[in-house]
Amino acid sequence: MEEKVLEILEEYCEEALDYTGDNMMEEGVIDSFTVINIVSELEDAFDIEIDAKYVVAENFRNKEAVIELVARLLEE
Amino acid sequence: MQFISSSFVILWVITFALYYLAPGKRQWMILAVMSGLFYVAGTGGIPIGILLTGAGAYGCGIYLAHSLEAQKKALSDIADKERKKTVKQGFERRRRRVQILYFVWSLGILLCTKYMVVILPFLQKLGLTTPGSDAFFARVVMPLGISFYTLTAIGYVVDVGREQCRAQENPVRLFLFLAYFPAITQGPFNRYAKLQEEFEREHVFDYERMLFGVQRFVWGAFKKLVIADRINLFVGNVFGGAEDGLPGSIYALAVVLYMLQLYADFSGYMDMVLGISETFDISLAENFKRPYFSKSVAEFWRRWHITLGMWFKDYVMFSFVMSGTGRKIGKASKKRWPKMGKHVTGVIGTMLVWLLTGMWHGRTVSYILWGVYYGVIMCVSLVLEPQYGVWKKKLHIKEGKIYGFFTMARTWAIVFVADVLIRSGSLSQAGEIYRALLTDFRMKEGILSVTSYGLSKYGFLLLAAVCLLWLAVSIWEERGKDVRRMLAGCPMPLRWCCYYGVALLLLITGIYGGSYDTAAFLYQSF
Repeated sequence: MEEKVLEILEEYCEEALDYTGDNMMEEGVIDSFTVINIVSELEDAFDIEIDAKYVVAENFRNKEAVIELVARLLEE
Repeated sequence: MQFISSSFVILWVITFALYYLAPGKRQWMILAVMSGLFYVAGTGGIPIGILLTGAGAYGCGIYLAHSLEAQKKALSDIADKERKKTVKQGFERRRRRVQILYFVWSLGILLCTKYMVVILPFLQKLGLTTPGSDAFFARVVMPLGISFYTLTAIGYVVDVGREQCRAQENPVRLFLFLAYFPAITQGPFNRYAKLQEEFEREHVFDYERMLFGVQRFVWGAFKKLVIADRINLFVGNVFGGAEDGLPGSIYALAVVLYMLQLYADFSGYMDMVLGISETFDISLAENFKRPYFSKSVAEFWRRWHITLGMWFKDYVMFSFVMSGTGRKIGKASKKRWPKMGKHVTGVIGTMLVWLLTGMWHGRTVSYILWGVYYGVIMCVSLVLEPQYGVWKKKLHIKEGKIYGFFTMARTWAIVFVADVLIRSGSLSQAGEIYRALLTDFRMKEGILSVTSYGLSKYGFLLLAAVCLLWLAVSIWEERGKDVRRMLAGCPMPLRWCCYYGVALLLLITGIYGGSYDTAAFLYQSF
């Protein structure tokens, strides 16, 4: 699962892989347009539904947070 | 009641004294009472709008909280996955209906008041108004800060529904969140969870914090009175004067100055709001991060009116894209256009956000065009972003200081074009200005007549000097330095020279009185 998430992140936002901080969205590493594309790809890849309530800065603060989010939704 | 007035300063000082004398758990009550007082006494208006919007938000929040609780209980008793999904969807559907009802309610109030200037003459024509109804509408129906508290209340209702915060059971606490007096007129847009935390904390008096808060307030007043209002002497005459056919060079200077005026005015106001709140030990979200250092329009809007952008992104764009309709459009587009289809929902979401941003700022066609202009630029730049790297390589462009400056200048040019639209009195004036800029620049005539539009040679020199000071402060901040802390670390004589210098400049060179309403802020009209 992790590999697939990283692959999607790499496709849409390479900088996200090297980012080591904890606020990718506010620091402009990842814009809302890219977030939408990543969410759509994640939904298709893992057959999950990511509700708008999960699309918050906290769940996209870095690549680890995105992996955590997918793992949590897969468990639900 | 304006910030730059003796009555406001008195209110601030009294609030400050009572706030720190009150026990920690009761401090929020002082703010609530003073916010009510500010609202009623300051505007002379009857707060019916905020009470209706607030009551709706309160009721809706309570319903959502109960529904979420009932859903949890119901789901815990069901083992079958499919049945669980159906029950959950039923609860979600009911919650969505109540939320939509609330949005119609609060936005209905907002739209009725915003478009009352259009509706009222129509009612008068039909003979449906009585003498004195204009005054009634002005006092009751046109409430202070309605755009701000409406969006803030909607944000609260969405957050409760998304379980990002708990519903507030005390209506007075919710009123404080919506009507917190430093922020009610122009924001920033506060998120309930964050601000509630601030109100619930116990706040202890701290001399340094109070000093920093007052410093920020004074700096904000300086930007407003010394820079923005001085620029207005020139810009107001160029755009509002009876004279037509001015040289394009004069218009160019006026638009550049207007870009600075709008920034000084609105960021100055925000400095005051954040400064006042800092004296109460209440931390609010920053609304500006030196936008003119941006290297793209997207970055510019991440640094300008940040909280409004976040609001639209979180509550409009993501809500649309992740909705049933948004998903359907996304899937169909991907199927229809395998390469570019993935961008369709993002493009629709972005255009929707910008159209609404334009409508939020003003009622005229110019504002709608302004929104569409930014929406198109954002969409094109975001869709083409992956290509930029390829083009840069092909054109052998290296990312150095010169390229960085070029990207900043490109951003200024895009903002310049947009600001002509919103500063012009009408679309025809905007058209005339674009024409003059492109075909009738008359540089020499512009230079010779520049002092004939309300700002003398010395006025320009003073403006240049204070703008340089502002630029120096901005560069320090951009490099991550905290200017107030730097000043606090300076030797006392130098430190107080700086304080007195700014205060004296403010008192001597600030624009006070006259026919221009110095106390009013530009963004107040949005």
